[in-house]
Formats: sequence, C-alpha cells, structure tokens
Amino acid sequence: MTEPLLVAPAYARLPVTDRAVAGQFAGDILGLPPGPATEGAACFRASQHQNDLSFIAADAKAAAGFELRDDAALDAAEAALTAAGFAARRASPAECRARHVDAALLTADRSGNALDLVLRPHFNGRRCHLLRDSGITGLHSIGLRSTDLSGDLAFWQALGAVISDYVGDIAYLRIDGHHHRIALHPAARPGILNVAFTVEGLDHVMQALYFAGERQVRVLQGPGCQAVSGLAFLHLAGPEGHIFTLLAGDDKVGPKPLRPRRFALTESSLCTWGSVCTDVPEWRTEAGR
Amino acid sequence: MIRLDDITYIRLGTPDLALAEDFATRVLGLEVTERTAKSLYLRSDARAHTLCYVAGDPADQTAAFEVADAAELEAAAASLEALGHRVSAGTAGGAAERKVKDFIAFDDPSGNRIELVLKPEYRGPRYVGARDAAITGFNHIGLNSTDPVRDEIFWTRVCNARVSDRIGDIPLMRINAIHHTLALVRAAGPGIQHINHQVAERGDVLRNYHLLRRNNVPIVFGPGRHPTSGANFIYFRGPDGMVFEYSCGVDEIKDEASHRPRSFSFEPASLCMWGARPGGLIKGA
Repeated sequence: MTEPLLVAPAYARLPVTDRAVAGQFAGDILGLPPGPATEGAACFRASQHQNDLSFIAADAKAAAGFELRDDAALDAAEAALTAAGFAARRASPAECRARHVDAALLTADRSGNALDLVLRPHFNGRRCHLLRDSGITGLHSIGLRSTDLSGDLAFWQALGAVISDYVGDIAYLRIDGHHHRIALHPAARPGILNVAFTVEGLDHVMQALYFAGERQVRVLQGPGCQAVSGLAFLHLAGPEGHIFTLLAGDDKVGPKPLRPRRFALTESSLCTWGSVCTDVPEWRTEAGR
Repeated sequence: MIRLDDITYIRLGTPDLALAEDFATRVLGLEVTERTAKSLYLRSDARAHTLCYVAGDPADQTAAFEVADAAELEAAAASLEALGHRVSAGTAGGAAERKVKDFIAFDDPSGNRIELVLKPEYRGPRYVGARDAAITGFNHIGLNSTDPVRDEIFWTRVCNARVSDRIGDIPLMRINAIHHTLALVRAAGPGIQHINHQVAERGDVLRNYHLLRRNNVPIVFGPGRHPTSGANFIYFRGPDGMVFEYSCGVDEIKDEASHRPRSFSFEPASLCMWGARPGGLIKGA
C-alpha cells in the first residue's frame, strides 16, 4: 500500500458514567464548545468539525475515529482489513448520525480497540469559538493501548500508515505529513490511552499548566518535549481516568522517506526536557518505576 | 551623557568560594576561567569573565558596564563628580583583577556599586559550560532601587539608558537594541536583584527548569513568559540568596526613534502571561 487511506484523526468517543462532569471538564478546562445535540452522546468541538470529542455511555466501548480519504478509500479499507483478517462492518444510518459522518467502517485492531474509519466528518459553518482561551486548534493524535503490538501494527499498515519512530516498543505512526497521528503503547489492557489536541503554541501549553494547578487538575507529565516529534506536551488527568494531552510545535515531516528510529525507553526519550511520568504505566521508564 | 555600550560583569562577595563554584558550574553551567586564593572567575560567553566571586561580604555587589574609550571614561568621571558622586579611579592592580584596561567606580543614587570599564578581555576558545545549560551569554540584571523614579532619571538622563516598557514603577531600560539590560526594582536598600543569562532556545528554559527542580534548587518565579519583552524565563536562587535567571526570546527594539514605552499595570499577569506568580521576587506583586 503506497497511498495511505486515512487523512486525519476525526474524533474520540470516550465512555463515562457521569456525562455532566466529563462535559464540565471539556468545557471549563479544555474550553471546548458543545457540538450538536446527539442521541446517546455529549459532543464537543475542537475544530470546524461538529464533533471532535464525545462522551458516550459507560457500557459502550471507547472508539477512535479516523477520516478516510474518499469513497474509494472506504472500499479499499474494507477490502484490505478483510484480507488481513480484521472484522469490519458498515455503520448503520443511526450510527453515522451519532458520529456526525456520512459513512463509517466500524472495525477493531487485534487488541480489540474499536476503530471507526469514517467518510466525511460533518463540518459546522460557525468557527469553533473556544469557551476559554485554551488555544486548542483541533485533534492531533490518539494514543492507543496495545496488547498485541505486531497485530495492531499490521492493522494500521494495512491502511497505509507508516512507522515514524519507536521509543522502546512504543510505535508512532503517520498517515499524513505529521510525525504521528497514532501512537501504539504496549499495555496490559486495550483502550484509548490519551487524546491529544494541538494548541497554538508553547504559550498555551504553559498557560494550561498554571490553569490546571489553579483548578486542581492533575498534571500527569510535563511541560515536556517528545524526543521523537519535537512537540511540547502536557498530559492532563481528565475525568474517569481519561488522559487529555495538549501539544504545541511543528511536527511536519518532509515528503522524503524516513527510516524509523528507535529510541531507548528512557526518561529522556519520552521527554527531552526532563519531566517524568510516574502514574501512567505506559509512560513509565525504568527510572520512573 | 555617559554612553554605556554593554553590561560587562558582576562581582559578588561570598563567604564560601567553594560553594559558589559548585553552584556556578554544576547548577548554573558557567565555565571557570581562573581561580585565585580570593576569587573565582566565570564566563558565559566570549568574554574572559562575566561573573566574579570574591572572598568577602555577600553585600558587596558590583555591576560593570563598558564604555567606548578613554575619553568617554574621563568624561563620565567628570560628569558624575559634577553631580556630587564620589568617583574612584581604578588602579592598575584593580584593572588586572577585573580583566579590563581601565575602570572607574561610583555609587548610583540608591547606593549600588557601579563600575565603568574599558576594553574587557575576550578569550579565543569559545565558552564551554560545565554542563549543557545552553547558555549563550550574560545578558542583563535587575538592580535594587530605593526610589525607582529618581533612579530612572539617573540612568536615562545622566546615562544613555532608554525606557523600553514599565510595569508599575519598574522601568525596563535598554542601552542597545536588546529590550532591557537593566531593570530597576523597588527595594529597601541597594543590591543586585537578579542576574540573567540567555539560553539558546525556549525549550532550554524548561529543560533547565526540570533540572533545577531535580537538584532541589529553590525556584523563585516561573517557568513563565514576560509580556513586556516576550522572553520565556525561570528565576531561581543561588548562593548567598542571589537570584539568577535563564531566559530566551527577548525582543529587540529595532526602530529606536518610533518606540514608545508601554505601561503595564502592577499585577502578576504583567510579569507573567502564563500564570506564574512572582512570589518573593518583587514586593507587592
């Protein structure tokens, strides 16, 4: 597969028991305005899209949505995944409505992470006016937990994703001109590890640090800087164990083919500035353990 | 008008030269250029030294500025004496100790010891820090002032400083294109309020911040960003209570003629646009 079938992350669907509290975090802390009223979900906008983040029922499965290039990519993705032995089915009209997309292929990787490959996520005519100046400009990437790294890599590679770099066995995958849009983390259980938003710049990452402190939102790691991508980051503890990340910087990689580099799983690979994560097993290094 | 071209060095008294050296190298990341029985010379850029610790009283703190030539130095001494400042001419021994050709010393109106120097010594080999702090050079200082309005007049009328911006009654003053080389901060007595070194990238400020925290160095203010100069900063405390700063991204004032100083209100957001609180660094903020 030469041309990736995917163009960008579309949304994250996160199960919560208390949608109101989760919505308060999205609005008050992240500054995301609500999206359209949606059956069974509370939607929030982080971009021109109707829905970048939605909180769904606690018994539903967390899902990450990625946008397909076009109609042909939908057929090609279905064929490629079926050939590689991954179950996939077309979403019903109701499922498409809940996701604010024209069509979707609902599938899962080997770990069992629900992954939606969607066609034409719906736009909103009004620009995304943030509820506070958090500087969020849209989804950057989704971190996934993986219990079967080679199986999950096969899933993404079937769709044309390319490995940018490794930190230990953490794999960073790109589908467009950015360093990564998906990060696979070896883990004891499947699930979405973190949902990462792009902010305008380092100012907004740092303002979020002090804002989080004032609102008693726990900073899980950062301010830091990823060795692989050069992006500045702040990992925030969201509601019910969900992790939200703010990223700043330019992680565009040129069109030249790159060979994936392997960085050791050490503190300085996960953060060149020296911040340490002790509370998230997937981001712990030997020194942090 | 006394024309200051650049800030040259800081001399600090200390009762414990060994402790000062440990901090200046292992934490701050300066390079030792010379040790004598009573002094320690440290550099942060191409000059032979930009910081000198001298065995003695930590209240003895001196800031030195470079002037262009002997005529400027002579004229400066004359105009300071005409204003009633006691000016002492530097001796040859004193000049050698300071690694300069010649110098004069006087007290500013708040009692800060100031030296004006000629031809500070440069060194061929580039500065290599004791650790990778990414320092690009000694950049500016904060100076205590018992009366910032009076002292602003001294620095801007007797000397050639220009106010770039003000935060309350704190004037940030430049003597070249750099947004500020000197900031006056209200205090009960004279003294150097902080010593700034620039680092290469904005990220280096944060990398140094994590290192300082890991080494249990007291963080005084930051990490933050000044809305006035646009610089990212971290302030921390070294030996004898002296505050040091790393910063990066200081604006330059390119159009000298059209620049008008802005007045920022005296509140924490004027000192940091990220939300850091200045703590004990500045009284009342």
